[in-house]
Amino acid sequence: MEQENHKIKAVSLLRSRICDPKFIFISESPESNYSKLKFMISSSVTEACNNSILLLGPRGSGKNAVLELVIQDLLQEYPDSVSVIRLNGLLHSDDISAFKEIARQLCMEHQLLFSKAASFDDNSQFMVAILKECGLAHKTVIFVLDEFHLFAQGKQRLLYSLLDAMQSITSQAVVLGISCRLDADQLLEKRVRSRFSHRKLLFLPPSIEDSQKLLMHILTLPIDSSFPHAYAVEFNRKVQNIIEDRRFKETLNKYLNVDSSVKHLLRFLFCAVSHMDLQTGFLSRENFEIAFTSIQRQPKLECLRNCSILELQILVCMKRLEVKEQSLCNFNSVMKEYISTLTSERYARHVCLRAFEHLIHRELICFTDNRGQSLSVEFRPVKLLISSAELHQGLRANTSCPPKLLKLMDREG
Amino acid sequence: MPVIAAKRTLRSHPSSPPRKSPRRCTAATPNSTPTKNRLGGADENQADPAAVKPKWNPKDGEQLKRAKMALHLSTAPSSVVCREEEQNMVLEFCKGCVEHQKAGSLYICGCPGTGKSLSMEKVKDKLLNWAKEEGLPLPDVLSVNCTTLTNTSDIFTKQILGLNQTQGKKVSALPLQQLQNMYSQKSSVKNMTLIVADELDYLITKDRAVLHDLFMLTTFPFSRCILIGVANAIDLADRFLPRLTSLNCKPIVVNFRAYSKDQILKILEERLNEFPYSVFQQQALELCARKVAATSGDMRNALCICGSAIEMLEAEIRESACNLNTSLEEISSSRQNFATAPDFMKKREFDTVKTDHMARALSKTYRSPVVDTIQSLPHHQQIVLCSSMKHFRGAKKDAILGELYKSYVGVCKSCLIPPAGILEFSNMCRVLNDQGLIKLGQSREDKLRRVSPKIDEGDITFALQGIRFFQNCL
Repeated sequence: MEQENHKIKAVSLLRSRICDPKFIFISESPESNYSKLKFMISSSVTEACNNSILLLGPRGSGKNAVLELVIQDLLQEYPDSVSVIRLNGLLHSDDISAFKEIARQLCMEHQLLFSKAASFDDNSQFMVAILKECGLAHKTVIFVLDEFHLFAQGKQRLLYSLLDAMQSITSQAVVLGISCRLDADQLLEKRVRSRFSHRKLLFLPPSIEDSQKLLMHILTLPIDSSFPHAYAVEFNRKVQNIIEDRRFKETLNKYLNVDSSVKHLLRFLFCAVSHMDLQTGFLSRENFEIAFTSIQRQPKLECLRNCSILELQILVCMKRLEVKEQSLCNFNSVMKEYISTLTSERYARHVCLRAFEHLIHRELICFTDNRGQSLSVEFRPVKLLISSAELHQGLRANTSCPPKLLKLMDREG
Repeated sequence: MPVIAAKRTLRSHPSSPPRKSPRRCTAATPNSTPTKNRLGGADENQADPAAVKPKWNPKDGEQLKRAKMALHLSTAPSSVVCREEEQNMVLEFCKGCVEHQKAGSLYICGCPGTGKSLSMEKVKDKLLNWAKEEGLPLPDVLSVNCTTLTNTSDIFTKQILGLNQTQGKKVSALPLQQLQNMYSQKSSVKNMTLIVADELDYLITKDRAVLHDLFMLTTFPFSRCILIGVANAIDLADRFLPRLTSLNCKPIVVNFRAYSKDQILKILEERLNEFPYSVFQQQALELCARKVAATSGDMRNALCICGSAIEMLEAEIRESACNLNTSLEEISSSRQNFATAPDFMKKREFDTVKTDHMARALSKTYRSPVVDTIQSLPHHQQIVLCSSMKHFRGAKKDAILGELYKSYVGVCKSCLIPPAGILEFSNMCRVLNDQGLIKLGQSREDKLRRVSPKIDEGDITFALQGIRFFQNCL
C-alpha cells in the first residue's frame, strides 16, 4: 500500500507540473521574457510613467502565462499601487462594449457602483476621470488587451482613447497588447501607431536543446523526503536514460518538427505521463511512443479503415478516373468505370448508389458546387478528397480488402 | 513602499524647475535673452553642454528618473520650438477675427507626431493673454476631440453646451438649428467663441453633411465662432468640402510638415537642456534624429527611442553589477587578487548613452520580427514556407491547399524526409496564417482553401539561407 501511494503521487506531481505555468516559465535569467516583461512593468510602476508593450508570438508560446505570472508578482510587491483591467478582443471588439467593460472593472476595483445604463460618453469620460484620480493617488492601471489585433478593426476608438490618455501627465497606465500576428502594429491606424511606443517582446518557440532541458526540468522527481530515496534516484536515472535514447530523440524531433510550441510539447508529456505503468512505477520509452501515436492521428485513414469493400471499389474507380485526367466526375461515369474494371461479382446499381451516398456523408468525396441542389445525386459533379498515398495506406490497413483490389491500385500507382 | 511614495511626490509637481548649477547660470549671463540664445547659433548650443555640464551618474536613481521624465511624451515643454512660424500664422488669424468681431475657419493638417495639438494649446494661451492685454472681451474656448463623439452630430451639442454656459438658454430644437438660428440674428453677446476640433476626419460621413454644416456656420451674418479643424490629411478640405470654394468660405490651410533632422535634434536638445547633466553623446542624438527624420518625422518616435536608449544603458549597468558581484565573490575566495578590484571597477564606468546604445534602441523599434520568427519555426513549417515560396514563383498568385500539399510532398521527397499527413499540413498552414506569414481563405472543404503569400520572398530566403538543409531547395 505504501508503494502504491508514492507511485500515484509521482504521477500526480508530474501532471500538476505540466499544468502549472509557474513551474515552466519562471526563469531568473535576464534574457528570459519573464524577466524582461517584469522589469518593464516594474519600472513603469515605480517611476510613475506610462508605457505600452506588445507581446507577439505564435499560439501556445506562453504569452498569457508569462504575463499572468508577472502580474501576480507585481500584485504581491505593490498591492496598493497596481490595478489590472482585462479585455479580450473576442468579447469586446466593438468600442461600446469595451468601454462598458472597462467601466465595470474599474467600478469593481475601486468599490464604486456600476450603472448598466451609462452611455458610451459616460463610460469614456469615467475612464479618463478614474485614470486621473489614480495618477494623483500614485496608482498604476494595467490594461491587458488579449487578441490585440481584433481591437485594431474599425475606427480603433478604444486604442486611441487609451493611448491618448497616456500622453497626459496625470495618468499612470500600462497598455499591454497580446497578439499572435507579427504585423499587429502595422494594423494600427496612423494616429494610434504614432502614440504606441513600439516596445515589442517576441515569444519564440524553444530550441531543441531548450526543449530537452525543459523535459528534464519537468520529468525528474525531487530527491527529498517526499519520495523514497531509492525510488526517486531510480526514477530520475530511468528518465535520464529515456531522454538520452536515440530512438526517443528521433520521436521527439519528429513530433516537434511539425509544431515546436511549448503547449504542443506539454500535451505530449501529459499524454505520456498519463500512460505510466503503475505496476513498476517508472516511465518508459513505450509511454512516449504510445503518446506520439495517439496524438498523430490520421482521421481520413481511420475513415477508410471502416469502409466496406464496395465503397473501397468506388474510391479506386474514382482514383482511376482522376489518373485519366478527369478531375470531375459524377455517379454515372464512376459506374461506367466500375463496370469496365470489375468483371466479376458486381453489385446492383441502386446498391452502388447507396454506397456512393455513404462516401459523401463521410466527406471522402464532395460535391464541387452547391448550385445544383435540385439535381439528382447521380448527375451532380463530385471530387475526390483523398490523395493516392492516403488511399494506398487505407487499402492496406483495411483487413477485409480483397487482394485483387490492392493489385489494381498498385498497377495505377 | 515609502520609497515609492517619496519618489512619486515629485511626480505630483511636474512643473517645478530643476535646480541649475552655478556654472550654468554664469554661462547664461552674457546672453540677455534666452530666445536670442536659441536663435543665435547651433554652434553655441552644441558647445555649451559639453563645456558646462558635468557627466551624469546613471546609477543614481533620482537622476535617472528625471532624465526619463525630460524625454517622456507627457512632459510638455514650456515653449514649442521649431513651430514658431505656424503658431504665429494661427495666432494672427485668431487675433484678426477677435479684433474685427468676424467669424473665420482654419484647417491644420500634418502627419501624426508633428506638434499640431501642442501648438494649438500654446496658441490658445497666447490668444487669451493677448486679449487681456488689449482690453478686448475674452473669447470662449471650446476644445473637442472628435474621437470621443458617439455620433458625428454630437459636435453641435457640445457647441451648444459651450455657449449655454454663459447664456443659460434651453430650447427643444435640434442643436444645429439652434446654432443656425442664433447666428442668423443679432444677439447681445459680444464674446467670440474659439472652437478647436481635433481629429476632424472622424466627422466625415457618407453625405458629408456634418462637416459641411460645421464650416458653414462661419458664413452666417452674425456668426461669432472661430473654427480650427485639426486632422492628418492635407487635402481634406478639397476632397470633402468642395462646395465651400464656390461659396467663398474655404478655410485657410496651415500645413505642419514632418520634422526634419535639424528640427528633431533641436527639440531633443531643448528637452535635455532642462536637465543639469549631460546624458547623451552628441553622435547618439544625431543618429536618432537622422533615423527618425528619414522614417517618419514623428517626434513621439524620437522621444520613445531616446527613452529606450537610456534603458539599454540601464540594462548594461544591471548586467555589469551582476558580473561585478560574481567577480567579487571569486576575489574574496582568493585573497591574493584583492588589489585588482579597484582597477576592475574603474574599467566598468558608464557615463553617457553612446552610439551603440542608440543603434540597439533603433533596431528594436524599427526591426520587423518576421526573420526571427521564420528562423525559429519548426522544421516542417519552414519546409511549408519554402515550398509555398517555390510554388508562388513565376506567375501564380495563389493556390489551393491541395496543390500546395503536393508541392510540399515534392520538396520532402527530394530531401528524403517523410512528409507529414494532410491533417498536420493543414494545421501548420493555420498556424502560419495566425502569425500572418501566409493568408488562408475560407472554404467548407479543407483541401479547397485558397493560400496566398503575405511576406516577401526575400525574407524567407534570407531567413533560411543559413540552414544547410535549405541551400538546395532555395
